[in-house]
Amino acid sequence: MNGSGRAEGARDEGRAAMSGVGEPRAARGARGESAGTLGEPGGPDRPGMPSGADAWDARPGHWPAGERRAPAGATDRPDPDPWETSGTPTATEAWAAPFDARVLTAADASEAFEAPSPPAARTSAASVAVARTPTASVRPRAAQLSSPSASTRGGADAEPDRSRRAAPRRGAADPVKALLHRHRELCERAVDPLEIAAGLEALGITDRTAARFRHRDVFSLAEELYARVPRDGASRPYPEPVRVPRVSAGWILLTLLPGALGTAVLAGLHLTHGQARLPVALGGLLAVGLAVRAALRRGPLAAAPGTPSWRTGSGTRAWTLCLLGYALLGDGLLRAILAGGPDALPTGAPDGPWPVTAAPALALTLACAPAAWCAHLLAAGARRRLAGSRGLEDFTAAARPLLLGTFALFLGALTALLALCGAALHEGAHYPQALTLGALLLLARLLTVHHRRHAPALVLAAAAATEAAALALPLAGRLPGCAFLATPVQTLVDAWGTAAVPVLACGTAALTLLVHAQRTLTQASAHAPTGAPE
Amino acid sequence: MRIGLLTEGGYPYVSGDAGLWCDRLVRGLAQHEFDLYALSRSRQQEDAGWGPLPPHVGRVRTAPLWTAEDDGVAYGRRARRRFTECYGELAAAVCAGSDEVFDAASRAMSPHLADRFGNALYGLAELARDEGGLIGALRSDIAVRTLERACRAPGALRTAREARVPDLLTVAAHLERALRPLSLDWYGDDALGAADLCHATAGGPAALPGLLARHFCDVPLLVTEYGVQLRSHYLALGPDAAAPAVRALLAAFHGRLAAEVYRRAAILTPGNAHARRWQERCGADRHRIRTVHPGMEASRFAEIGESPDRADPGTLVWVGRVEPAKDLVSLLHAFAEVRKEQPKARLRIIGAPAGPEGEAYLGHCRVLAAQLFPDEAEGVHAVGDNPVSFEEIGDPEAPTLPDAYAAGAVVVLSSVVEGFPITLAEAMFCGRATVSTDVGAVLEVIGGTGLVVPPRNPRALAEACVALLRDPERRERLGAAARARALELFTVEQNIAAFHCIYLEVVARCPVRRVVLDEAGEPLPFATPPEAHVPGRWTGPTARALTRGVPGWAAGGPVRATPLATAEGAQ
Repeated sequence: MNGSGRAEGARDEGRAAMSGVGEPRAARGARGESAGTLGEPGGPDRPGMPSGADAWDARPGHWPAGERRAPAGATDRPDPDPWETSGTPTATEAWAAPFDARVLTAADASEAFEAPSPPAARTSAASVAVARTPTASVRPRAAQLSSPSASTRGGADAEPDRSRRAAPRRGAADPVKALLHRHRELCERAVDPLEIAAGLEALGITDRTAARFRHRDVFSLAEELYARVPRDGASRPYPEPVRVPRVSAGWILLTLLPGALGTAVLAGLHLTHGQARLPVALGGLLAVGLAVRAALRRGPLAAAPGTPSWRTGSGTRAWTLCLLGYALLGDGLLRAILAGGPDALPTGAPDGPWPVTAAPALALTLACAPAAWCAHLLAAGARRRLAGSRGLEDFTAAARPLLLGTFALFLGALTALLALCGAALHEGAHYPQALTLGALLLLARLLTVHHRRHAPALVLAAAAATEAAALALPLAGRLPGCAFLATPVQTLVDAWGTAAVPVLACGTAALTLLVHAQRTLTQASAHAPTGAPE
Repeated sequence: MRIGLLTEGGYPYVSGDAGLWCDRLVRGLAQHEFDLYALSRSRQQEDAGWGPLPPHVGRVRTAPLWTAEDDGVAYGRRARRRFTECYGELAAAVCAGSDEVFDAASRAMSPHLADRFGNALYGLAELARDEGGLIGALRSDIAVRTLERACRAPGALRTAREARVPDLLTVAAHLERALRPLSLDWYGDDALGAADLCHATAGGPAALPGLLARHFCDVPLLVTEYGVQLRSHYLALGPDAAAPAVRALLAAFHGRLAAEVYRRAAILTPGNAHARRWQERCGADRHRIRTVHPGMEASRFAEIGESPDRADPGTLVWVGRVEPAKDLVSLLHAFAEVRKEQPKARLRIIGAPAGPEGEAYLGHCRVLAAQLFPDEAEGVHAVGDNPVSFEEIGDPEAPTLPDAYAAGAVVVLSSVVEGFPITLAEAMFCGRATVSTDVGAVLEVIGGTGLVVPPRNPRALAEACVALLRDPERRERLGAAARARALELFTVEQNIAAFHCIYLEVVARCPVRRVVLDEAGEPLPFATPPEAHVPGRWTGPTARALTRGVPGWAAGGPVRATPLATAEGAQ
């Protein structure tokens, strides 16, 4: 309000200067009445003009005709005057009221103008003062309100014909006010004067039109409108649509597909024997791979639009495949290597020389569905928190429990799936390996979905490299003179078993990513809705 | 000389905005070399491809504005600090409250603030040139946090202080979009740096590369604006498009950007006085503005304009696209008044409706015309006809646009809103007397060669029409004057000639001073002689078509100056 008040003051002065010297023709026409009644342009020297502040308020009828600075003095006067306290309208109200009653019939319009802050009231009254043309309907109420000055207003009443001729057709005392009323919405919702100017021009108002409102151009008219419109801020809250990502049947079914195919493949492997197993296994793997790819293409697990660089995208994919391959075959292979093997290819049987751990793999394929739901919950919750938070700190504070909760939910779902698969396949569930791997993959995917591609690619590569090293080191230790290379892995396996390798690799990686996600996924920019207004 | 023509969503693409104008300009100034730098606006536009280009267009470089590849460069600590500083300055300049924005003395933006904005902009551009990765940084959390800090700073815009997190994200995303030209690789010595002059065919995003070329290589910038970019931004981002904080910040950003463009441009060429006023309002220096009116193809109206008036003396013609802003209702009411004075008068409304709104409006006008004017016939036995007819170009009555104008004794324009009234200029080319409403650039176009009445005033419109219908001599006089005026101001030739002069003026006033180094790295004096700026190639226009290794005298045909020698050589 401070700024607009100052602007008004400046404009008020500008207008005073303009009406004094270079007044346009239209303005002079509208002021014909005052010039006619006063006779001389030198208003302040007029006989009967009071000099003190008290006298001003006693005769509010005077100042519109001659002296325009008076209301400023009247309203800024430090001590209240008997006229004011006794309920008689102040000078501003006296002149604003008849106008409101006549021109603005709508209730909202008058109430908006009746309670402006002092500078606004002063301006509107001042412009009323210049533009006023006392037509028949104005005068009775004005005279009644300003009864103490009735005798001095006789001069104006003496020439009714002239003043009536000077009045415009829809005789508005303050044409800008009428304009303001007509374009109220434009003015209220404009963010700066230029927006009003653009809007007015689009409605066909030109500089010639602005001259009728005693303005040099549309821009200064727009500035007056901008300064005069009441702006309390809370009047019109922008309805923020919360664009929560939709749940569609398409991605729900797609995320169920890998699990279903994985189950089917395992069932097929159980039912087939001998030669037929290899094509079934290979075909099954291919089918599951394609299904996972399809599930990651749509829905909440889909990466954001915008192509990643080729290295990042394919790298992430390759390392993920390595990790999954290790989960399926790695434990058996490591055991075989440490035992001096491997002597034979895996047969698919859990009790062979190179056992395949099918239960975690199946559980992971089934976990595509909970992962998608968790990603959806995270995205939707983040959007809601975005809409509700005032500052970035608020959002971060609100998003952190959301992320952790989602993560925990996924771990719980995966644990349940592991238990289920272990029971169904009658083999060990391998909780630690599967849980750490699942956590790692979920976090990597979440980060990728939210535009953070770099860190997951790096961490996945590190985890896969660790596992590959765990397999390669014992093999290298068989070379003459390199036995020391096998020692760390051997020690580790001796202490905690073969599961220690993937648990350590994936667990460290998952923790790293969790810390990273805690920092980045709780930032508002990670959840920015795509598409900006143009 | 070499001109870098900067376009946005326009020229070389087939589906562009100002394609026709740019094409005429490039073809008309064949003595200069043109390099096109085009920003495309959508994928459809890129898929549609380019139109045919004349041979003196040296190179065409395009960049998409609708998508951006993050080059994956992650900033180190120093680069991040640099980015934070520059972006913070930019955001602070955008968020500055109204007290700081405008000088108390002049209404233009305060130079201090303009400097801050400009320095921040160029700082970001330098960062993008040195380090890359600006797009990722503009999308990053640092950017959003910096923006938030600027919004909450004391003295910031009141509306900006209310910005919530989604608003900040929207603004950051929009700024990233708007600042995409900063990441382009157009500012090297082999691209825009090699140009003698950058000509931006629009303000806003198209002028941004020109600003940077000016900053990096001191290439003078010429900005042509037929529509004010800032104004269309205001109209496009209406109250329902976004939250108030977003609109306030974006409006401030585009305002500052426009001010920077206007401040830095060597010459501004608005298309009409309206654009000129906006440019002046946004801080353009009056001395550097030259209004260049758009050029129109005059030849197709030449026949109509030069032949004597064969039109039916009582016919009024309105030509244009039918839409509510044209206020045909007022025209029909005015025509009713005209009919009281001139019972033989006819009104032909020629034009197709624009969009569904226009369709509805046309239907409304047809109904009104049928109500106001009953069908009438010559006698008792003749078939009647309505004095008001609604037609479209291509109908048997008006097969072409010039025929449409030729059919009327007086051409009427009744719009309440108008930008640059093309139909009025066309009517002037046809040598018709015109009555138009005082809207938009009408007064500027018509000068004193037609009657102008206030808008929404059917009675005044009718009186002016009647005055012209009654006075064939005055019609003829006004028509001839209008045609002369249009031929002087609105032809393609004047447009091209004006730009030619402006190019020379710019190059003469702010020449690019390049220091050319020899092999040893020493500056080579007189390496760029003044003739480098002379229009036309002193090496001859055919020189570039030569294949290497063939001597010049062997490649061409017979040389006219020495016919004998050539004949001997042929034998």
